[in-house]
Amino acid sequence: MRAYLISRNVQSLFVVFVVTSIMFVMFRIMPSDPTAMLVDRGMPEEARQALLEKWGLTGTLWDQYLRYFGNLAVGDFGESFFYRQPVWDVLLPLIVNSLILAIPGLLLGALIGAGLGMVVGWSKRGGRIENIGIFVATIARGTPSFIVGIALLAVFSSWLGWFPAFGMGDPGDAAGSQRYFTFEFLHHLFLPLLAVIIFFLPENLLLMRSGVVESRTEDYIELVRAKGVSEPRVAWHAGRNSLLPLVTWLFPALAETVAGLIVIEIVFAWPGVGRELVLAVTRQDYPLAQAAFILMALLIVLSNLAADLTYTKLDPRVAYSRAKHG
Amino acid sequence: MAKTPTLTNKAANVGLRHRMLNPVAMLWQDGSARIGMIVFFLFAVVAIFAPYLAPYPPFESSLSEAGRLRRLEPPSIDHWLGTTTFGHDVFSQLIMGFRLAFVVGVVAALAVGFVSTLIGIISGYFGGVIDDLLMRLTDVALSIPTLPFAIVAVGLLGPSIENIILVITVLFWRNGARIIRSTVLTEREKIYVKWARTAGASHFHIIINHILPNVFRIVFLWITMSVAFAILTEASLSFLGLGDPTAVSWGQMLNTAFVSGSLRTAWWWVAPPSIALVVLISSIYLIGRGYEELNNPRLRRR
Repeated sequence: MRAYLISRNVQSLFVVFVVTSIMFVMFRIMPSDPTAMLVDRGMPEEARQALLEKWGLTGTLWDQYLRYFGNLAVGDFGESFFYRQPVWDVLLPLIVNSLILAIPGLLLGALIGAGLGMVVGWSKRGGRIENIGIFVATIARGTPSFIVGIALLAVFSSWLGWFPAFGMGDPGDAAGSQRYFTFEFLHHLFLPLLAVIIFFLPENLLLMRSGVVESRTEDYIELVRAKGVSEPRVAWHAGRNSLLPLVTWLFPALAETVAGLIVIEIVFAWPGVGRELVLAVTRQDYPLAQAAFILMALLIVLSNLAADLTYTKLDPRVAYSRAKHG
Repeated sequence: MAKTPTLTNKAANVGLRHRMLNPVAMLWQDGSARIGMIVFFLFAVVAIFAPYLAPYPPFESSLSEAGRLRRLEPPSIDHWLGTTTFGHDVFSQLIMGFRLAFVVGVVAALAVGFVSTLIGIISGYFGGVIDDLLMRLTDVALSIPTLPFAIVAVGLLGPSIENIILVITVLFWRNGARIIRSTVLTEREKIYVKWARTAGASHFHIIINHILPNVFRIVFLWITMSVAFAILTEASLSFLGLGDPTAVSWGQMLNTAFVSGSLRTAWWWVAPPSIALVVLISSIYLIGRGYEELNNPRLRRR
C-alpha cells in the first residue's frame, strides 16, 4: 500500500516535469522571435542585452532551461512582458476569481444534476420523463459553453435587463478582498455561475441516471421494497450507491472546470486565469501564458492524484491490482 | 495449397465488410441514435454541396444601389439571414461553415482514430515493456489540459486549419488509445488467437484478421465521438479568435459578432451558427448515447 502511494506520487511529479518541459520547448522553438515585442528595433545593443538578461533570455537553450527550472523550484515564474510585473502578482487574484466561479458552479451542477438524474433514473422505463430527460440532457451536453453564455446574455442581460453583461463589478466599487462581499459582485457573478452550472449539469444527470438504472434491478433493492419502505426512500437507496463514482468524478472535473471555464470567462469578461491565458497568448506575453498553462496542468495532475488516493481509500483492492499491473 | 489463402482472404473480406456496416445497422435500432444519424447525414449533404448552395461568396461585402455598405441588415429577400457588420451575407457564411465543420471534424477524427487504434493495438497486443512505455506516455498526455493546450499550441504555430487539425489529433488520441487497448487485452486472450499463433500465423496476420475486426465497433464509436470533440474544439478556438482567418467557421462568425459588439442587436447573425453547432454536436452525442444503451446490458430494458 505504501509502495503504491510513493510510486503514485513520484509518477505525478514526473508528469509535471515532462509537461513543463514540453511547454518550455514549445515556447522557445516557435517561428516568431520572443523578444520582438519586448525589445524595440532601434534600441542600443547594450540596453537590449540588459533587457534580455532581465527576462532570462540569454545563453543557450540549455542554460535557459536550467535557469527556468531553478526559478520554478523556488516558485518564481518570472516577469510578465505585458504588465512588467512578477507573473505571480498578476495571476494570484485571477486564480481567486476563477475559483469563485469554478467551485460553486461545479458543486451546484453536480448536486442539481445528480438530483435530476435520480428522478430520471427512477422514472418508468421508456416513459415520457425518461425519454425527455435523456434527450434534453444530451442536447445540453452537446451545447458549447460559449453558446450557453451567449444565450444567457441575450435573454437575461439584453432582453430582460436583469443582470450586467460583463465584468466583476463597477469601477467605483470596493477594492481588495472587500469587493467579494458586495451585492454588486453577486449580481455580476450570477450569469457566469449559471453558465458553469449548466456546463456540469447534463453530465452528472446522465451519470447518475445510468447508476440508478443499473442498481434498480439489484436484489437488495427488492429487499428494501419488501420491507415496506416508501418508494422515494427505495429510490434513495439506489441513488446513494451511485454517488461513489460521482464523488471520484469531482476531482478530475475540478481541473477540467478551470480549463473549460476559459470560454465562459471570455464571454462574460470575467477576470480569471483562463481569460488571461487567451489574452497572454494573443499579446505574446510568454512568461504569463506559460505560467497560466503550467498551473492548469498542475491542477489536473493533483486532482488525478487526489481522485486516485480517495478511490484507494474507499476501495483498497484498487491499490493491489494497480501495484501488480503497474 | 495455393488456393486456400485467397479463399480465406475473401471470406475475411466479406466478414470485414459485414462488420463495417454492422455498427450502423445496430445503431439504427435505437430511436435517439437514429435521429442522430439522420441529422448528421443531412448536415453532411449540405457540407458537400455548400459551394452550390451559398448565394454569395462568404466574404463579399454587399453594397446597396446607392453604393453604400449594407451593414447589419435584418433578414430580407436578398439576404435570407441578413448581413454582418461588414456587409457579408450571413446565410452564405452559415452554409460554408457546414463545410469547414465537416472537413475539420472528419479529417481530425480519422487521424485520431488511426493514432489511437495503432497505439491501443500495439500496447494491448504486445504487452510487456512496450505496453508500459506507451501507457506512461498516455498518462503524461492525459495530464495536458485540453483547451489551454490547444490555445497555446495554435497561438504559437499560427492559426490555420492544418494546425488546428494537428493539435486536435495530438490531444484526443490519448483517451481512445486507452479504451482500445483494454478491448484488445480481452480479445488477445481468446482461444482462437492462441490457436492461430500456435498454427504459425504472424503477429501482423493475427492483428489484421482477428484483433482489428473485433475491436472495430469500439474504434468506430471513438471516431464518431472524435468528430464531435474536433468540431467543438475548432469552434471554441475560432470563438476565442484563434481560428483560420481565411475560412468561414461557425465559431469564427460568433467571434466576429462578439468582438464587433453585435451580440445584443444582430440575432439573425448570432442565432444561426449557434443552432447549427448545437444540432450537429448533439446529433453525434445522441449516436454515442444510443451505442451505450445498446451495449451496456444492465441499461437495457427488460
